[in-house]
Amino acid sequence: MRGFGDLEAVIMTRVWDHDGPVTVRDLVDELQRERPIAYTTVMTTMDNLHRKGWLARVKDGKAYLYTATASRAEYSARLMREALDGGGDAEMVLSHFVAQMGGEESELLRAVVRRLSGQPGA
Amino acid sequence: MRPALLMFGYALAVAWLTPALLTRLTARGSSPRLGLAAWLTAMASAVGAAIAALWFLAGAAVSGWPGLAQAVCRSVAGHVCAPTMYRSALFELALTVAAALAVATAFAAAWRYGRGVQRAQARARAHGQAARIAGRAMTPAPQHAAPQHAAPHHSAPQRAVVLDAPQPAAYCVPGRPATIVLTTAALAILDADQLTAVLAHERAHLAGRHHLLTGLTRGLAAVFPAVPLFARGPLEVARLAELRADDAAARRSGRRTLVAALLAMGTGAAVPAAALAATGGATAVRVQRLLDPPGRTARGAVALMTVTLLLAAASAAIPALAA
Repeated sequence: MRGFGDLEAVIMTRVWDHDGPVTVRDLVDELQRERPIAYTTVMTTMDNLHRKGWLARVKDGKAYLYTATASRAEYSARLMREALDGGGDAEMVLSHFVAQMGGEESELLRAVVRRLSGQPGA
Repeated sequence: MRPALLMFGYALAVAWLTPALLTRLTARGSSPRLGLAAWLTAMASAVGAAIAALWFLAGAAVSGWPGLAQAVCRSVAGHVCAPTMYRSALFELALTVAAALAVATAFAAAWRYGRGVQRAQARARAHGQAARIAGRAMTPAPQHAAPQHAAPHHSAPQRAVVLDAPQPAAYCVPGRPATIVLTTAALAILDADQLTAVLAHERAHLAGRHHLLTGLTRGLAAVFPAVPLFARGPLEVARLAELRADDAAARRSGRRTLVAALLAMGTGAAVPAAALAATGGATAVRVQRLLDPPGRTARGAVALMTVTLLLAAASAAIPALAA
């Protein structure tokens, strides 16, 4: 683990892997099985994730119960929409390996593939 | 007054006349680097000349104020213009307001430009952050497969993550750390060599800071959509940046592998055709260029360099001549 950002990813993965809500203590215990980590570090990170909208929490006695606000799949879908929709602000700085293309262009590419693989044109 | 007009004329000429010339000179993509230099020089030269013109204009207005008031008054009112008129507080006020409006318009344009660029960067930062959380770190991290001593060249830290998504996609997000995003669908249709080629392509974008070039020039297009150079420039800069990255990836993985990767990603895409259709077959052109590379003709390169140098020299010389 190199930075704070990485710890956020590690913690979100743990939260997603849980079926129900988790406490800071739950995750600290899990993480400490793999490496030494301070309770306050985990608490601060989860607090940040809550502030950024990744985690929802409800008070349960003295501790908070944390749940993910959306599944990993939902976040992935959201990111894909943002990356592929085009025209948005983000589009100004994302460099795609292939640009989205019109039907004519993809047909052209398919023709190239057919030619290269020596199949008779369809 | 004259130097300002001269510079303004130069800016207009560059903005309206260079796009056609540069589009023709860079169309075949035989030397993307020279092409990038030419487009960027033209845009910087036009912006610089326009700013310098405004600066001179402001200077002339301030230093020659009484005369200017008289001249404006004469040009509007003709013989009727009497000293009582142009020395009147009301007239001075109107002139001041007009000058202030001109300056304010220039500042507003600059501010909108800065805000647009900044907003795009903020969105990218947030996107990269979210991708690093929602994505899984790519394992085995392919960058470690490359020789270790190759790493320090693009010293900026970067991560490669995989998003669970049905669309084959690969892109890079600038930032600290920079993030290369691939989808599970992309990994499913790329073999190991093609994946290396895709990653090399994206790393070339990051190492070449292409996001800065495209971001800064697209910002200009957003503020001045009616100026041909600023409307056309960003598209050409983006296209040439792709070709630069293609060249880097082809050097790393071979042209065949890169073409295969492009075709896989291009045809395996169940992506809605809508958004970027206007780019006019950019991928097909890239494939064509890789399959049938244009020779680096000396004449083309010389022509591009000449244009670039002329533009650079003119932007430097005009203020000196005018002064």
